Amino acid sequence: MRAALKRFARNRMAVLGACIIGVVALLTALAPLLYPAGAFTLAGPPLQPPGMRYLLGTDALGRDVAAGVVAGARTSLLIGLSAALSAVLFGSLIGALAGYYRGATDIVLMRLTEFFQTIPAFLLAMLLVVILSPSVLSVIIAISAVSWPGIARLVRGEFVALGGREFVLASIGLGASGPRIIFRHLLPNCVSSIIAVGSLLVASAILLESGLAFLGLGDPNVMSWGLLISAGRVTLRSAWWVCTFPGIAILLTVLSINLIGDGLNEALNPRLRER
Amino acid sequence: MSGIPTPHLSRRAMLLATAAIAVAAPPAAKAQTPRPGGTPTPVPGGTMVMIVNPEPATLATYAVSAGNIPPITTQIYEGLLTYDWDLKPQPLLAKSFEVSADGKTITFKLQEGVTFHNGAAFTSADVQYSFMEIAKKVNPNGPVILRELESVETPDAMTAIFKLANPAPYLMMSLSSNNIPIICKSVFEGTVPMQNPSANRPIGTGPFKFAAWERGQFVRLDKNDKYWKPGLPLLNRIIARFIPDAATRSAALETGEAHYAAYSAVNAADIKRMQANPILDSTTRGYGTTAATSVLEFNMRRPHLAKKEVRQAICYAIDRQFIVNNILYGFGRPAVGPLSSVFSTSGWFTDDVRRFDVPNRLEIANKLLDDAGYPRGPNGVRFGLHLEINSFGEQWLRQGEYLKQALAQIGINLTLRSEDTATWLRRCYTDYDFDINEPFYSAGADPVIGVHRHYVSSAIRQGTTFVNNKDYRSPIVDKLMDDATRELDRTKRAALYHAAQKQMVEDSPGAWLAEVQYVTIFNKKLHDHTMGPLGTYEAFSRAWLER
Repeated sequence: MRAALKRFARNRMAVLGACIIGVVALLTALAPLLYPAGAFTLAGPPLQPPGMRYLLGTDALGRDVAAGVVAGARTSLLIGLSAALSAVLFGSLIGALAGYYRGATDIVLMRLTEFFQTIPAFLLAMLLVVILSPSVLSVIIAISAVSWPGIARLVRGEFVALGGREFVLASIGLGASGPRIIFRHLLPNCVSSIIAVGSLLVASAILLESGLAFLGLGDPNVMSWGLLISAGRVTLRSAWWVCTFPGIAILLTVLSINLIGDGLNEALNPRLRER
Repeated sequence: MSGIPTPHLSRRAMLLATAAIAVAAPPAAKAQTPRPGGTPTPVPGGTMVMIVNPEPATLATYAVSAGNIPPITTQIYEGLLTYDWDLKPQPLLAKSFEVSADGKTITFKLQEGVTFHNGAAFTSADVQYSFMEIAKKVNPNGPVILRELESVETPDAMTAIFKLANPAPYLMMSLSSNNIPIICKSVFEGTVPMQNPSANRPIGTGPFKFAAWERGQFVRLDKNDKYWKPGLPLLNRIIARFIPDAATRSAALETGEAHYAAYSAVNAADIKRMQANPILDSTTRGYGTTAATSVLEFNMRRPHLAKKEVRQAICYAIDRQFIVNNILYGFGRPAVGPLSSVFSTSGWFTDDVRRFDVPNRLEIANKLLDDAGYPRGPNGVRFGLHLEINSFGEQWLRQGEYLKQALAQIGINLTLRSEDTATWLRRCYTDYDFDINEPFYSAGADPVIGVHRHYVSSAIRQGTTFVNNKDYRSPIVDKLMDDATRELDRTKRAALYHAAQKQMVEDSPGAWLAEVQYVTIFNKKLHDHTMGPLGTYEAFSRAWLER
């Protein structure tokens, strides 16, 4: 593990990504101190340009854009992490069952996975949010529902590759149960790939969340980068700052998570170790 | 207002335009001799491009009341009457009209020599069929406007006599091309109106004939060469274009490829920039009969909102001027009661009601809530309510976000809920599972048409959208409005409406937020387009393009 950490630290871009995410996380933690009144408060006159009084300006209702960006970071990280985590858990389970038991289970589960993969992810997510009525929970459910198939296929592939290896055969010979082999022997062996792909899922979940909020399908009671951009879009030509700063926030966050994901992939993937 | 240059926008708009339609090139320009007073003389010919947003789902204007249909269909169908700037009835398909002293008989003499676009002659039989078989049966406003209409008699081909059960002063205000379009009896006889082949290929008597509807792109209307008004229309063709993206709509006007955009086709935030554009001009006239007011509806079945003090406190908590300035971008004025101030012309409107825009309004609101027995909890919150977000556009979410802040000032924690249109309508008008709803309503040319149904107890009809869903039952208001429906004397009718407004504002079954001021943006080369209070809901028969 320490060796992996060292290899990660050697990748400068990945470290840069980690630093940016660290700042975003710090801002999230400090939000209640920086902007105790919350992001929806009418802080001052509308459409003030960035300056000393309002660091990133105010939007059409007179809300502080900086407060919105900070509050949006919390929403994005919360939804991104929870959606990615639940997608990873569910996807791994499906993939593990399919890859270990093979046969009919495999066929049924993989056709199901492919069924979800063939539906355009964003449209399905929109549909789910509309059906469930927009709230933080329904957005998380919708994003995980469209994100798990990739993980499922990855885990299945790893399981199939590991299935014939001696340590697995030995466990079977010693009479270990299916769940024991799956969770004690096989899953730990693919954790590194799951972490690498899962970290990229966080980035795509944040993008999906912003997209949904942009279309007005986010939770209307929660500030989000997508919501800020959608609200600022009408004033884009007269007040550029309302859209721009949340846009930059999305860009930086998603880029950093991708960099971290690449770093993790290189650090944890044995086949790339010698590069 | 300075904007950052965005060349890609206009380029995209131009690409879209070339892909969308090949607009017929206007014939060679004629020399223009200015009219006395400096205005140029009208020249015939040319193609006018107007923006209609969003694209209508159907053109069956006789059966569907959606507001995006009439800009197209009033070019094709005509009504019996039109209205002048003082909202006085003027002849259209009816050459003259006479109301009997008891108000129960209206005699219309019809224009002679009028033919439908399919060649059929227009007679009183078409009028009878349009009212009795179409408007009364399938027009959504029919049950209200034509409630008292018992029969249409046709003593001869050019006379139609309306027999009413009771006087209906509002009926004369509701006979425009938009309200009750006159359709051709021989086209509709024996068919189901909604499935009639002419539903989406309309056949009327108007100055323009339906030519083509390219779904997702445009409707083309061609000049009716046999139009009954001599020398009209002036334009050769009207193209109604559908552009889903708001920025592209603005760009189409700024580049001059579209000439006219009414209602909310242009983003309010863009209007000031367009007004500064040298090739464009704007007007706020032409919305005299469609003035819209944004309101809140309180579900009085809910324990908190059943208390008058709570409802009034919410009314006091809202800064209406803030809504006008920041959500409508200045295009509107604060509302004071259930009747829009457009009814000042007729005398029905009054602002002598309980006023919520007093300087110490927050103090009053907090005191009302204290007195109602809802003290602030440890976190400053008295109780929570839900607001159903109007699903008809982004500005309603902005308004909801503001209301959440406004109500927080008086200790009410407002949670916003935004759902798709169908779910929203079902929740608010069928299931009654809402606390506060934020719709907006068009008042119509008379309060009977657009106002009564939100407040009278007989309009509590579960499952019908946009009626009294508040469970507001006031015998006083019911009586006043019922009397006003039949009162022919203007002064007495005004007194009835003044009393009703006072009572309703006192009861506050809802909150009246802002009167929306619509703006029409048009190219300076387009003249004589807004000729009366109906604005875009009237044919462009005199409109012409300078070249």
